[in-house]
Amino acid sequence: MATNSLHCSIQQHHNHHFHIKFQPPTTFSASQLFLKPSNITNNITLSHSSSGSSSFSCVTFSLSQATSTTPSSTSQESVSFEVLKQHLTAEEYQKADEETRRLLIVLAGEAAQKRGYVFFSEVQFISESDLKTIDELWRIHSDNKFGYSVQKKIFEKSNEDFTKFFIKVGWMKKLDTEMEQYNYRSFPTEFIWELNGDTPEGHLPLTNALRGTQLLYNIFNHPAFDEEQEQEEGDDVVAAVEDKGLKEKDDSSLAKRVFKPNYSF
Amino acid sequence: MASLVSSPFTLPSSKTDQLSSISQRHLFLHSFLPKKANCHGNSSRSSLRVKCAAIGNGLFTQTTPEVRRIVPDKNNNNQNLPTVKIVYVVLEAQYQSSLSAAVRALNSTNKDASFEVVGYLVEELRDEATYKTFCKDLEDANVFIGSLIFVEELALKVKAAVEKERERLDAVLVFPSMPEVMRLNKLGSFSMSQLGQSKSPFFQLFKKKKTSSAGFADSMLKLVRTLPKVLKYLPSDKAQDARLYILSLQFWLGGSPDNLQNFLKMISGSYVPALKGTKMEYSEPVLYLDTGIWHPLAPCMYDDVKEYLNWYGTRRDADEKLRSPNAPVIGLILQRSHIVTGDDGHYVAVIMELEARGAKVIPIFAGGLDFSGPVERFLIDPISKKPFVNSVVSLTGFALVGGPARQDHPRAVEALSKLDVPYIVALPLVFQTTEEWLNSTLGLHPIQVALQVALPELDGGMEPIVFAGRDPKTGKSHALHKRVEQLCTRAIKWAELKRKSKEEKRLAITVFSFPPDKGNVGTAAYLNVFASIFSVLKDLKYDGYNVEGLPETPEALIEEVIHDKEAQFSSPNLNIAYKMSVREYQKLTPYATALEENWGKPPGNLNADGENLLVYGKQYGNVFIGVQPTFGYEGDPMRLLFSKSASPHHGFAAYYSFVEKIFKADAVLHFGTHGSLEFMPGKQVGMSDVCYPDSLIGNIPNVYYYAANNPSEATIAKRRSYANTISYLTPPAENAGLYKGLKQLSELISSYQSLKDTGRGPQIVSSIISTAKQCNLDKDVALPDEGEELPAKERDLVVGKVYSKIMEIESRLLPCGLHVIGEPPSALEAVATLVNIAALDRPEDGISSLPSILAETVGRNIEEVYRGSDKGILKDVELLRQITEASRGAITSFVEKTTNKKGQVVDVSNKLTSILGFGINEPWIQYLSNTKFYRADREKLRTLFEFLGDCLKLVVADNELGSLKQALEGKYVEPGPGGDPIRNPKVLPTGKNIHALDPQAIPTTAAMQSAKIVVDRLIERQKVDNGGKYPETIALVLWGTDNIKTYGESLAQVLWMIGVRPVADTFGRVNRVESVSLEELGRPRIDVVVNCSGVFRDLFINQMNLLDRAVKMVAELDEPAEQNFVRKHALEQAQSLGIDVREAATRIFSNASGSYSSNINLAVENSSWNDEKQLQDMYLSRKSFAFDCDAPGAGMMEKRKVFEMALSTADATFQNLDSSEISLTDVSHYFDSDPTNLVQNLRKDGKKPSAYIADTTTANAQVRTLAETVRLDARTKLLNPKWYEGMLSTGYEGVREIEKRLTNTVGWSATSGQVDNWVYEEANTTFIQDEEMLKKLMNTNPNSFRKLVQTFLEANGRGYWETSEDNIEKLRQLYSEVEDKIEGIDR
Repeated sequence: MATNSLHCSIQQHHNHHFHIKFQPPTTFSASQLFLKPSNITNNITLSHSSSGSSSFSCVTFSLSQATSTTPSSTSQESVSFEVLKQHLTAEEYQKADEETRRLLIVLAGEAAQKRGYVFFSEVQFISESDLKTIDELWRIHSDNKFGYSVQKKIFEKSNEDFTKFFIKVGWMKKLDTEMEQYNYRSFPTEFIWELNGDTPEGHLPLTNALRGTQLLYNIFNHPAFDEEQEQEEGDDVVAAVEDKGLKEKDDSSLAKRVFKPNYSF
Repeated sequence: MASLVSSPFTLPSSKTDQLSSISQRHLFLHSFLPKKANCHGNSSRSSLRVKCAAIGNGLFTQTTPEVRRIVPDKNNNNQNLPTVKIVYVVLEAQYQSSLSAAVRALNSTNKDASFEVVGYLVEELRDEATYKTFCKDLEDANVFIGSLIFVEELALKVKAAVEKERERLDAVLVFPSMPEVMRLNKLGSFSMSQLGQSKSPFFQLFKKKKTSSAGFADSMLKLVRTLPKVLKYLPSDKAQDARLYILSLQFWLGGSPDNLQNFLKMISGSYVPALKGTKMEYSEPVLYLDTGIWHPLAPCMYDDVKEYLNWYGTRRDADEKLRSPNAPVIGLILQRSHIVTGDDGHYVAVIMELEARGAKVIPIFAGGLDFSGPVERFLIDPISKKPFVNSVVSLTGFALVGGPARQDHPRAVEALSKLDVPYIVALPLVFQTTEEWLNSTLGLHPIQVALQVALPELDGGMEPIVFAGRDPKTGKSHALHKRVEQLCTRAIKWAELKRKSKEEKRLAITVFSFPPDKGNVGTAAYLNVFASIFSVLKDLKYDGYNVEGLPETPEALIEEVIHDKEAQFSSPNLNIAYKMSVREYQKLTPYATALEENWGKPPGNLNADGENLLVYGKQYGNVFIGVQPTFGYEGDPMRLLFSKSASPHHGFAAYYSFVEKIFKADAVLHFGTHGSLEFMPGKQVGMSDVCYPDSLIGNIPNVYYYAANNPSEATIAKRRSYANTISYLTPPAENAGLYKGLKQLSELISSYQSLKDTGRGPQIVSSIISTAKQCNLDKDVALPDEGEELPAKERDLVVGKVYSKIMEIESRLLPCGLHVIGEPPSALEAVATLVNIAALDRPEDGISSLPSILAETVGRNIEEVYRGSDKGILKDVELLRQITEASRGAITSFVEKTTNKKGQVVDVSNKLTSILGFGINEPWIQYLSNTKFYRADREKLRTLFEFLGDCLKLVVADNELGSLKQALEGKYVEPGPGGDPIRNPKVLPTGKNIHALDPQAIPTTAAMQSAKIVVDRLIERQKVDNGGKYPETIALVLWGTDNIKTYGESLAQVLWMIGVRPVADTFGRVNRVESVSLEELGRPRIDVVVNCSGVFRDLFINQMNLLDRAVKMVAELDEPAEQNFVRKHALEQAQSLGIDVREAATRIFSNASGSYSSNINLAVENSSWNDEKQLQDMYLSRKSFAFDCDAPGAGMMEKRKVFEMALSTADATFQNLDSSEISLTDVSHYFDSDPTNLVQNLRKDGKKPSAYIADTTTANAQVRTLAETVRLDARTKLLNPKWYEGMLSTGYEGVREIEKRLTNTVGWSATSGQVDNWVYEEANTTFIQDEEMLKKLMNTNPNSFRKLVQTFLEANGRGYWETSEDNIEKLRQLYSEVEDKIEGIDR
């Protein structure tokens, strides 16, 4: 059941009928819950279906969903950031990772919850502060090794190339072929769920690549992470653009991209 | 420059560097093979170990059904519940997660039973161990479920296993599959065992739509809908069972875990005996739309596009770009089963990627296998008839109509023509997991290639990009992020072509050049490239494109491209269009670092000036004409031999970076057959991120002018470089005619015929003999000594034989000159082609050939006449000549009647109708009435000429420019087969998006028929030449194009040699062979060594598999060794190599994956080889990769030992010519693959094997010796004034064509030693000793002329041509003269 990310509304509206036209879902959630801000400001009210059977396709980075089907046992309290904080404090990174994805879905709105994953264009509906909170929690509890802003920097150092980024944060593994090739790591067994010297920077939290990279790209380009755009120069960027003039050009275009996402190619 | 003379056959090395700008097409050994022999489990910490594709069981997939096994937890409280065991086999892994979820849910909630389930993916059943487990699982199963089992081999396995248990099983449910499997269905009294035979109305429903395509699955769907009506006809208990079957189908197609739960409840409750009495409650199936529009954000599915668009317009998540009315709109075609089973992640990825890039999407789906209806319904505005979309991407991988079952391409083409937008068919991995695909050198699984690459091509589908992988654990599809990006940017680029104005469109025309020599810039088979470009550009300019500054003439265009204006002298450099700094290059070329392994740091010394990378070409307004760079290895024998994992060099990559990112091309037009991009290393089919063709072509839509007669390589361009291949016509063929001594001979023979009984006979015969000797015919015909007295009968025979030879030369077809795009042949130029079209019987269309109609009128059978003529029976030779002459005359008179004064065809059909209206006026009748054939059958003639009229219309039609413009405007280009217009006039008119054929359709029955004839003639011939002994082994070559054109004739030849025949399945696909008994065969089975060209390997890997199975089967037959040479040799080889017979019977070879040709052609073209031994080493090291049907997933594996041993038994070598226009010396690949000298070296007795060439291009199929064919070719081409004058009339390119024939002739000397001295001698007389000719050649294309002179010197230097010292001295002088001229040194 839980692996099913089938469109709930489809099921609802086509029950026994062929041609039922859309009607807005009315009976949705039993309880309206408010996100409890812990120590940060939160201005979004979110509703969340908390019934145990809520179909929650877990958003895993990689290919397997079966193993992470159950949303964390704590259902009611989990909509605050408290649970995430607890998991992180306890260094239970796998649980924290799952909670993060759940939060992201909750923050993205009702439709995302029904669907079970976040569509890239819903990222804009997540408030700056919420996203920052999640990020900060991760950073605080990982010695600045984990978190979206950490990943974003690595992404920029990778010339915004997701493959390079995935390799750096350890989400892809090298295959043993003559040509250098990488495949996605299998979730959850091939990921590292603890913080130690070997854990690559930016390894957590995971964001699903099952549905491509646009979700993560939009998280990175969320205004929440704007100020993270410091003057830092990634080593790769330096390597690729040694020329002063080119570098400036590159910087400005980068900055532009951050303020106003531009998907042109 | 004098230094050259001492070693005339090596290019000065400094030249190589200077000339490096130019391109090279061939490939070097490259592989993605796993580094270690064994690599499982090393880096993987995964709970499920995924092994490398080449390891393990050697099959394509290493996944196991165990991930799909769910055993109920017996420690649960409900341990005493009856267990229902379900075994399922599916093609669609998407059912796995849904079914697993359903069973888990059932086990946790159901109180009546517990469920055990295990699932198999069809492909896994190839593995013997897995199959055993499957059979075992069935032994105690209650329910079997199967779906989409369409692969015959595996279907039969499933059938065998289930049949055994069918009686015992409580229920057997099979959803759309092959009939054999469908018949297993059993649900109480409901059964399908009568499927296909029963007259009951129930089954009639299945049969109804038989003629139309996708029929089966679709009629099942209809069945679901018309259920109530059907049930009326059935007795009530039967009705109940049938109803449950229909409900099952509905549940299954509903696919969601809920539906599947209810499905399992229903089936178990109704049919599992242990549950009889317990009432299993189940809900009715939840039905989804059959077809509709789906979007992950949408609140529901839509079945009305207007409603969908309304919703789309209200999306509040959309950004400005996506909301813009100018945003491109992409139509997506999805498979319903992925949506309902919730396995839609890869679809969502594509939708997100497109929308993020500012493109709107209309994702439509269908549950059946026919998408043509939904396409028309949802993507075309019903009122304006205009498409809602700018391009369409099918994510199903299937043909538009028919899915994996029965396709209907004409219907698909009709729907897509209405839609009229670019149509891309991308595909998810089905048979392999992501890692298996990445690890595989083949790339995509061959069956998937057949189903999801080859078949969509017949619909005009382009760009087979693998965009989704499959997870081994859950079976779910997932996006491959880079592939999705590639697919989406390309889809948008195509859409942009539809939206942009002509004026702003930027087009990069790319021309080729090989071998790398300035004289070769603009090489393309049969095409006058610059004249064509000029004609295209003029037309585009007229059409509104910006082509500013286009010169006045094609000659001026050539000058501007090939001369560096800034250079002081007429330098060897081409015009530099752009200098790219290394920094810029690295920035624009993400994969640049990967090239450093082979080429060092950029810029390197190819296409570079030491600091910058150089892009050669010239820009006119928005059009750039560029020269594709050289491969870079030519001239380096060591690299030719040993190079592994070659890659494009920096200059090559820089060229494409320039085109895409600096010039910013909206499309690239590759001009003519063919370049090297698509032959760069990478997977065979289904490119990954690290495959060079994919990286190089990047995001640019690729339009490719391709010779219509070369569908195989066109297909490579299609699959590996995502080209929309637009066919062009090869130049009109003419009969070779006779010249010089040959002409005299023909006159002498005609006077002999009239005077032979007058007593002057002997005298004339004597002159015939001496003239024939002068013409070097003595090797082709046994000529008596001149003085010898001959009895009258023998005189006739000698004359007959000479006559037959002369006629053979005279009637050879040769393409005259070079084709120019936009200049179709005139009607009269088409006569020779029509005569040849008319010479073939077409029983399937009820058309008799003209020669057979004519022969009948004089009471003869044409086959008899052919045989007699071949034997030299004077009477028959003469009759055949008369028939040929009458054919030409009749057709000429017909063509004259349908053309106007300018020689253009004026409305053939009208003319024909009027002609046919008055039988008396038929021009061919008028003509024939004056010949001995005046009584020819009028009806037959009328049918034939109607057909010829259609052909004529098509030959002269001009669609090449039109189709190009359509492609550039983002329209759909109609697909069409490639091939030989003479055999298959459907190739015409040109200007079609060329495709190959359904690889599983060959060999056809007709091909098998013709193959038998050729094989029998070959064996006869060999017996005659070899003291009556059967050849034990024949070494032969399989070509892609040959097999496409002939529907697998040479493939069938191999089968017939070893004495097996193909067996087709219910869909007409050939996946099986059976042996022919020795009695029926009437001779021993002949062993074979099959060498497949790289292109054949790419296109027909399934057929290689079939051949390997056939050979192994024959080797294992219990037959005496002297009656089964395959077995005889395999036994010997097994013993001496210490392997088993099956492995020793390895006979099917080719190059390593991603590598093409033996490189001998390269070495010869560049004169970069030392001795023949070196060439043979190249052959062995590059061509000894075997395909093993027992480990197909391992791809090509090096098996040089067996290869050498097998070759050493060869008594004969053999190749097929594949068309009337391409012969031995026209292209380099025939000698490149010829192993004759090599076999001689390998044979223990050192005996030279006989070498044969089959020519089935004409009605009278011939098997000739290689030497005969080389002579015939020299006489009809290189030495034939008609041919070389024709070439010279095209100027620059013509000189190159002449030089190419001579170089290829040297190639034949090198690989086979079958070229006579006189061929070189006469060539020298024709081109060098004739001062006028010499000047003409030198002035028109000095670079090619230099190569010509060099080749003469080389032929002499290597000992292939003995001639006078004077001749050589003259050549040496000429060489330095032309060298100085090129260098601009004035003396």
